[in-house]
Amino acid sequence: MKQWSPDLRAACEDIEQMARDAGLDFHEVQFHTVDHRQMNELAAYGGFPVRYPHWRFGMEYESLAKGHRYGMSRIYELVTNTDPSVAYLQTSNSETEQKLVVGHVFAHADFFKNNLWLVRADKDMARTLATNAFAVRRAYDAHGRDRVEAFLDRCLACETLIDPYGGQGGRLPDHLPTRDVLGWVLAHGRLTGWQKTCLEVVRGEALYFAPIGMTKIMNEGWATFWHSRLMTGGALGDCEIVQYADRHSGAVHANPGQMNPYKLGIEIWRALDRRLGGGSESLNELLRIRRIHNDVTFVEEFLCQEAATRAALLAPGAPSDAVDMLREQVVAGLGNRGLPLVELVSADDDELVLRHVWEGQEIQLAQAQDALDRLAAVWGGPVHLDTEEGGKERRLSSGSRERDAA
Amino acid sequence: MQRILRDHGRFREIVRGRIKSDLRRYMKEGELLGQQGGHLISIPIPQIHLPQIRFGPNQPGQGGAQGEGEQGGDGGEGGVSTAGDRAGQHLLEVEVELEELARILGEELELPDIQPRGRRMVETVDTAYNGIARTGPQGLRHFKRSFHQALRRQVAAGRWDPDRPVVVPEPDDLRYRSIKSKAVPQSSAVVIYMMDVSGSMGREQKEIVRIAAFWLDTWLRSQYSNLEVRYVVHDAVAKEVDQHTFFHLRESGGTKISSAYELCLDMIEKEFPPEEWNIYPFHFSDGDNWSARDTERCLGLLEGQILPQCNMFCYGQVRSAYGSGQFRRDLVDGFTGDERVLTCEVADREAIMDAIRLFLGTGK
Repeated sequence: MKQWSPDLRAACEDIEQMARDAGLDFHEVQFHTVDHRQMNELAAYGGFPVRYPHWRFGMEYESLAKGHRYGMSRIYELVTNTDPSVAYLQTSNSETEQKLVVGHVFAHADFFKNNLWLVRADKDMARTLATNAFAVRRAYDAHGRDRVEAFLDRCLACETLIDPYGGQGGRLPDHLPTRDVLGWVLAHGRLTGWQKTCLEVVRGEALYFAPIGMTKIMNEGWATFWHSRLMTGGALGDCEIVQYADRHSGAVHANPGQMNPYKLGIEIWRALDRRLGGGSESLNELLRIRRIHNDVTFVEEFLCQEAATRAALLAPGAPSDAVDMLREQVVAGLGNRGLPLVELVSADDDELVLRHVWEGQEIQLAQAQDALDRLAAVWGGPVHLDTEEGGKERRLSSGSRERDAA
Repeated sequence: MQRILRDHGRFREIVRGRIKSDLRRYMKEGELLGQQGGHLISIPIPQIHLPQIRFGPNQPGQGGAQGEGEQGGDGGEGGVSTAGDRAGQHLLEVEVELEELARILGEELELPDIQPRGRRMVETVDTAYNGIARTGPQGLRHFKRSFHQALRRQVAAGRWDPDRPVVVPEPDDLRYRSIKSKAVPQSSAVVIYMMDVSGSMGREQKEIVRIAAFWLDTWLRSQYSNLEVRYVVHDAVAKEVDQHTFFHLRESGGTKISSAYELCLDMIEKEFPPEEWNIYPFHFSDGDNWSARDTERCLGLLEGQILPQCNMFCYGQVRSAYGSGQFRRDLVDGFTGDERVLTCEVADREAIMDAIRLFLGTGK
């Protein structure tokens, strides 16, 4: 906050007080201002300053830097789900933008502290990630970059095969079936010390980041709802309203039929608030909802015609059953984080058999084959995946491509 | 240094490796050509992604086991994907500097650096603030050198007191940064592309020439600080055209190769004196010429006038349905054992890489 003007600092304190008075409840928030390069670096690292060395972050950085260079994207802020929350604001934001962003950040911090799916996260994640980075770097040094990197690549190909819904935290699965394939491999695979470390790092970090993806619509909607409320409720001076409105409408812009989580989120929250009458009881109910839901249950229960129309997902005057179809569609896209539901059903004779729980949508077989080969390399034995293709059952097996070629 | 730069550097290294190992494919498909902007080129790289079990459509008959070839899993496969926000396989567009691409080409084809001939080097003068002078404007005062000078003077004069180490510079001690000019060899080259556009050269043949020309340009540009490219088309008569016309013009009618050689010679004499320029004529044709007499005239022009002025002369014969390929045989017969004349047969796109290796492999 060093570079902040006294005015802005005072405004920030006011906004914090307003947020707390309004009923938001958050850990201390530490603000840092960073330039666009640092911002892109932080974003590439998932919002944290230190991650283990891997080129995937470099690739993400390149695409962010390119987006910035061509003026297509600009990151206003990043907040972490930690205690205290750490918020990074872009130095190039104007004072008005900083106020908006500060209001937005406090609401995120409130969400992180209270939402059931996020509350159990490791609140000291910056340190955990740094520790992980240290462990991986040591493996690089001891066993050579190429070997460790190749192994990490394989683990990362399987990083979706975890169970963030399981509610058993980081504990390893002890019975089948389980969705926590990586956990099973950790418990029963033949891994050397450094391999185990790498796999633990990948699984642990995936478990940390998954719930954030599972509450994106709620969380962004909540933060947008609150920054709008705080800004138009007295935090802004008269001369700032136009710039605020411009930035706000930019963030919630949605083309018809295209889902913008900010827009959809805020419209659901607003519709809820209206339906509940808008008073302090309504507020208590909103706070309760932000505590117990995730995106799937949130959309399933609260996506109404009004919100859908305002979020440009339904044409005005659409028939009343259209919203039911839309809801189903959105929920289907969000279910299991938008990923195929895969569980480990048997692990006899060193062979893993995974089952794709069929929900009517095919998986991309060529890519799944590659992922399977990598999983087999991590596991150290053959791996199979049962799925469907064109209405028929289909089994993919690791290594089958090589056998076909031979 | 930012931490991310290490990861980014590693990523660029992997990209470079991919481009290198796929160079033959890029050459064959010519997909890079349309994507040039300034000194950058945008390269789509399909394999750098993290394969994961995801939803996505399957083309019939392209099931897992028959999918695109895979690299076995070392080095670096992978990509970015967070919590289901990116579906399926995405092509990654990376930007590479043309110079970098030339280096990759050179490494892959083991091309030697070209040694421009000494007498053909033009000296240019480069200036930089890398000298020291006793006079100059205050803005350019070199504090450290001035101080050093004053210290030396004081020590030499016995006025240096270690217990009271005060250094007082006198006007004479002051030193200033100054401009020093340095002669830098500047090498220039000109590439003269000649192409037969008579009826027998089809679209595919021109595409091959276009791809080959791109890579030849890329390499030569990395070797010379100044490269000019000129284009000559010919059927029965030759004319100079711009790049777009060169690759798209379609004429019909006969073929008189000597017309192009004459025009080439004319250009060299008027614009590119060989004392100052490294000259690279490239001629592409399907090998048909009007008459044996014209071919004789071509050989004469080459022997007597063109070859003595050029670094080398390259002839690429693009196979077409109609061409007889006679001209290359005539060239080979005429210049057996002459290193200055390089000919090759480019049967299809696969052969482009070998043609480039042959043309540029001499290091001249």
